[in-house]
Amino acid sequence: MAAPLHWQVFLASAAGSHHLESAAPCQDAGHYLVAGTTLVGVVCDGAGSASHGREGADFVARSIAQWLHETAADALAAPVASQTIAAVLERARGQLEALALAGARSLRDYACTVVGCLATAGNAFFFHLGDGYAVYRDASGACTVSPPENGEFADQTYFLSEAGWMQHLRVTILPVPQRGCLIGLMSDGTAPFAINRRRDGFFAPFIDPVVNYLRTAAPDEGARALLGVLADEKTFAITADDKTLLLALAA
Amino acid sequence: MSLAIPDVALIDNSDERAPLVLVLDCSGSMLEENKVGLLNDGLKTLEAELKNDPITARCGRVLVISFGGDNNVEIMGDWTDAMDFTPPALMAGGLTPLGTAMKCALDEVESQKAQMRSAGVSYKRPIIMLLSDGEPTDDWRPVAADCKNAESAHKVNVMAIGIGEQANGQILGAFSNKGALNLNGLKFKELFIWLSRSIQAVSRATSGTTVQLNPVDSWAQVQT
Repeated sequence: MAAPLHWQVFLASAAGSHHLESAAPCQDAGHYLVAGTTLVGVVCDGAGSASHGREGADFVARSIAQWLHETAADALAAPVASQTIAAVLERARGQLEALALAGARSLRDYACTVVGCLATAGNAFFFHLGDGYAVYRDASGACTVSPPENGEFADQTYFLSEAGWMQHLRVTILPVPQRGCLIGLMSDGTAPFAINRRRDGFFAPFIDPVVNYLRTAAPDEGARALLGVLADEKTFAITADDKTLLLALAA
Repeated sequence: MSLAIPDVALIDNSDERAPLVLVLDCSGSMLEENKVGLLNDGLKTLEAELKNDPITARCGRVLVISFGGDNNVEIMGDWTDAMDFTPPALMAGGLTPLGTAMKCALDEVESQKAQMRSAGVSYKRPIIMLLSDGEPTDDWRPVAADCKNAESAHKVNVMAIGIGEQANGQILGAFSNKGALNLNGLKFKELFIWLSRSIQAVSRATSGTTVQLNPVDSWAQVQT
């Protein structure tokens, strides 16, 4: 029997020029947990208009990764997975509300989007609320994409803090992860250069050199190199937004 | 020290646009104190600012509408990408058909949005900036209500700005839920630098909530 699948995960966040100019922190946050063949990854983008978007993004990404990981020790059937994911997001939202109340603030001050993945030996899902992208690419190059959900305008989206958030939660069933597949989770600042023009997969001239490098990189070294790409000054001509990218390679 | 990954392409695939309509008063009173001349100079500053920033140069879409003459509203050329924007040379004279001009701006925004949608291009919330030194000589009230409604429906962001002391701030303020501001001492240059940076701010706003504007103290008159 072949050795079980192994995940190599690299995560980096770089502040956009807008936040660098005002000496404000990056409002994106990402967290992931790997145990055996199970991978949970979450990227959250704190709303620019929210005073505590950064804290909201960090708390939500960390909580969801932790709780989903605890829940998903066994492979989940699709309907159960959707319910489990929704319940975990609701729990994170509830705790965020308590946090807001304790600080005499409103939940809206902690507004953030959520894009994540849950992969086990038996099945895999994307879960997505708001903008950003999630992409699954199998070993043959075929992609499954969870696109951003905006309103009419590219600068509008949906947040976990909103009352009707659950109507906007989208769960995508993915193929069972195989060796050679690639999962990417990103905030909307990364998408203009990491997603192709047809918006149906990664932009190859960006992702291929990155993945080739990461395949042989140690975890710390890979994450630092990924940060170097996201913080490259060439990105400032593309977006003023914060940029986060989580890449998970199945080896 | 950061490690460099070789040969990574960093280019923009997103095709996002930020539409801007300038609705400019060219009535006879704009000849006083050479206001129209200063406005023309200000537009050249806007051109330089838009082209200087790589994001606004690529994302900005600009249209100029002038009003004046014999109840004349003129669309000065087509919508242009900010990187190709050349300001028109404005001439002043005649009446102030401000309502008709703003109606034209609302229509142009909607048809531009329809075009971008059919071309699969995503866009930010458009800005209409109205500049006037007087008060309308046409029936402006229904259009002002349309502007406020369009703002409430998050269709557009209207900025109404009075030039000089003769500008009727109350009427101009009726075109936007944010009210009107007044230009301090004909600081057109400062105004247009601020506007160019506001287009970037629009491209950064991430929610359906009110568009946050940069501070206006470089050009706006302090309310007393």
